Amino acid sequence: MTATMEKAGKLALICAISATLLGFVNSMTEPAIATRKAAELKAALSSLLEEGSPGAKEDISDAGSVTARYPVEGAGGWILEFNGKGYGGDMKILASYNEEGTILDVVLMDNAETPGLGKKAEKSEYMDKFRGTGGSAGPVPVTKDALDSPDSVSGATITFVGIAAPLNEGSAYVQSLGGN
Amino acid sequence: MREFTKGFVRENPIFILMLGLCPALAVSTQVVNALGMSAGTIFVLLGSNIMVSLLKNFIPDEIHIPAYIVIIATFVTLVDLLMQAYAPGLSKSLGVFVQLIVVNCIILGRAEAFASKNTVKDSIMDALSMGMGFFFGLTLIALIREVLGAGTITLFPMGSFDGVIEIPGLVSAPVRIISLSAGALFVVGYLKAMFNWISSRASKEEF
Repeated sequence: MTATMEKAGKLALICAISATLLGFVNSMTEPAIATRKAAELKAALSSLLEEGSPGAKEDISDAGSVTARYPVEGAGGWILEFNGKGYGGDMKILASYNEEGTILDVVLMDNAETPGLGKKAEKSEYMDKFRGTGGSAGPVPVTKDALDSPDSVSGATITFVGIAAPLNEGSAYVQSLGGN
Repeated sequence: MREFTKGFVRENPIFILMLGLCPALAVSTQVVNALGMSAGTIFVLLGSNIMVSLLKNFIPDEIHIPAYIVIIATFVTLVDLLMQAYAPGLSKSLGVFVQLIVVNCIILGRAEAFASKNTVKDSIMDALSMGMGFFFGLTLIALIREVLGAGTITLFPMGSFDGVIEIPGLVSAPVRIISLSAGALFVVGYLKAMFNWISSRASKEEF
């Protein structure tokens, strides 16, 4: 019994020291990480809009993969935030729509996709296939067959579907809202 | 010195010991990922080898695996937090593979096979040797895969240099399969064969 207690005690001691150390480092790095994330979000929101400015964030819980919306002040339309399902887990996606539900621009935020494959979706060119689709401008491509050049996403089907499906949902969601 | 040079060819973790293959296959699509991953792995390997060697008489045999995993996980979390705060670009491109250093067999393997039986000084040499061997192997795989599979060499951007070197001829018509998962297995297979050939030649010469 005492031998078991000793082992448990030693393991607990190692865990306690690790936890203390990590807590200390976390308290140092947390502000830096939070500042960087806030700056990234702000840059992403303004990069999505050619005119107008993003309004206050409103959290949404009852619209499928749409998790939040920002009304676009000045130009009309919405910026939606999505939680997409990628190959490496959840992906945060931001997209701007005009009032008819046509996609203006898309950007992939936090994700854990495979470097060299799904990660390529972080590049702006990747989103060319979605820009100007949805609403009155024709359907959002939700399968690779719907693309003019399916080769451009070879090797990352799950990432593609994980982005395309929420964008399509978002288009319908914006149409259901009407103008703001 | 022999302790230090063993990791490059004779006991190369990827090609001879066949350890750490999952990250080696997964992040070797770009040279910059290989460099970042190697740097993280060397840091964790060094930290865990030192701690395990220091604590080898303190940790009872029956609980050594959980104890090592806690030590390794602590160093990995440190690397992850520091990268997220001070090297966000690298942290983004490595993604989930930083956390996965925890289960990299090289690290637990060296803690188990070497650091738990040797002095701190030898364990440091072992960590550096294995770390450099991993760095060498991973960078070699990434270089071959990126040059053939994408026609580029991606390094860190510095000043006006955006970090991407394009190879004329290959960049417009790359051998795409080399940058996909199957290509990783091909490249590792051929390199493994080459390393076997080198080491079998070396052992023949000794006789």
